[in-house]
Amino acid sequence: MQNTTSSPRLLSRTSIITISLVVLSLVVSSMLPAGFFALLWDRLNVFATVFLGIFVEAVPYLLLGTLASGLVEVFLDRDQMSRWISHRPVAAAVGGAFMGMIFPVCECGVVPLTRRLFNKGLPLSAGIAFLLAAPVLNPIVVLSTASAFGWGQMLLWRMGVSLIIAVVVGLVFSVEQNAANVLRPVLTSSHDHDHSLEANASFSEKMRRALLVTADEFFEMGRYLIIGAMLAAALQTFVPQSSLLAIGSGPVTSVLVMLALAILLSICSTVDAFVALGFLGTFSFGSVLSFLVFGPMVDIKSIIMYLQVFRRRSVAYIVAIPFLMSLLAGILFNYLQP
Amino acid sequence: MPKRLYRSFQALLLLGLCVFFASKAASGQLTYYINLRFVPLTIFGIILLAVLVQTLFTEIKRSRQSEQDDDHELAPVSANLWFMLLPLLIGVLIPARPLDSSALATKGFNTNAPLVSADSSAQLFETDSEERNVLDWIKLFNFESDLTQFVGQKASVIGFVYFDETLGKNQFFVSRFVVSCCAADGFAIAMVGEWPQASTLEEDAWVLVKGRVRVITLNDQSVPLIEAESVQSIPVPEQPYLFP
Repeated sequence: MQNTTSSPRLLSRTSIITISLVVLSLVVSSMLPAGFFALLWDRLNVFATVFLGIFVEAVPYLLLGTLASGLVEVFLDRDQMSRWISHRPVAAAVGGAFMGMIFPVCECGVVPLTRRLFNKGLPLSAGIAFLLAAPVLNPIVVLSTASAFGWGQMLLWRMGVSLIIAVVVGLVFSVEQNAANVLRPVLTSSHDHDHSLEANASFSEKMRRALLVTADEFFEMGRYLIIGAMLAAALQTFVPQSSLLAIGSGPVTSVLVMLALAILLSICSTVDAFVALGFLGTFSFGSVLSFLVFGPMVDIKSIIMYLQVFRRRSVAYIVAIPFLMSLLAGILFNYLQP
Repeated sequence: MPKRLYRSFQALLLLGLCVFFASKAASGQLTYYINLRFVPLTIFGIILLAVLVQTLFTEIKRSRQSEQDDDHELAPVSANLWFMLLPLLIGVLIPARPLDSSALATKGFNTNAPLVSADSSAQLFETDSEERNVLDWIKLFNFESDLTQFVGQKASVIGFVYFDETLGKNQFFVSRFVVSCCAADGFAIAMVGEWPQASTLEEDAWVLVKGRVRVITLNDQSVPLIEAESVQSIPVPEQPYLFP
């Protein structure tokens, strides 16, 4: 029950941050002189269009992810899981990363699914590697990257670098023995009981339970998707993107700009290849690669969703290590093939 | 909140979302938000939402029949529910409007869009010059080194009007937003229009510009300019964005 007391506090903190950011942006925009209300209305329209753009795009993927999570909850039991997954750290991390190849989930859907898999006894290193690798290695993203860039270098390096980063971060977490230090307690005390199933339940009964889990999780994760999408839309409405693009041209700054853009844009990994394609004219191979590697792992909405599953210190690692490694990879490629 | 009430709200909100998406799909306004290519995905989402709504209604009916075991059950955090109202409210209260000149200030503006794949430019060569849209022209100007070949070609493009201080007298931008996946990644591209009555045009008005192409230099870049023979105002097109 103590979980339920910590959650409203967290809610208010998140919403206070959201609200204060929006208010701050409004204050800044209000400093512009004439036609203030017309301007505000225009901005509000842009905000609404961008927000709904991200939301409409993400909802089907979030539904798929929560559906996968619901099916895992009902059809996979802990014994099966421990039989499949190795508990040696390297094997678990590599296995977890490759597991991403079979689940068609992007960065919104992968969060609830990973949490569910942790519940089922997936080792930490495997789960973290899965969390970071699945949004890039899954079949849909491979296809969309290939259709944007062709079956060539970009696809190869995107998958390769992402795989390495995912395994490294997974290994970092394998040092931690106690999962409770990494994961936030799960808020399922009441619905665990609700969804517990007799082993011989019929298929349709199982499907019914799976769909109820899907609905619950869609609301739980949808909330953070909505907060994240609103933040991203607010930033896009009030922070000029053109100035960001104007900064970057050097081999290091251009990578930094692409990484910042990956966080700011918050677009789904299944479609970001088409966006990255547009940058290829102005940005080098390495910079665009870093965008393609880092974007699926970390952006505004996924950070907010991670915060619901992991403790804050763990989220810092999950964000910082991929950031530094993508930066390094981007710079390396910029020097190798300028 | 009692479990059954929670389930009812869930069902209603998901139904709302389902109807909202379906109405946007039916009116064609989905392309204000996402690339046409991803509309089937949203349709799939609508179907999945309908299945969830159906499951929830069945569950509510079931729990009403077995009254006693419902009393002590507590629902998950109910705050989750109210967040789902936000997209519905934003979608319903703020009238749908595609990205336009008011988005240009932050989303950036480009007469030299870096737009990809040289093979499509070969194809563009063969298309009739009057069939090309703004994006096609910009692509051609990016990929061809010899721009004189385009001078004098006939052009007929649509876009919204945008005025900018970098432009000369009687000139305006004919702009379109290019959206790769959703409105979040949209950016504007434009050709320059030149028309004696340019000052009578209103910003953001959609126009069909017909005329002949000339090359001018703007911010150190060669960009296509249309010497307009006619500028007609047209309604907002069904698909306001271009999809690369």
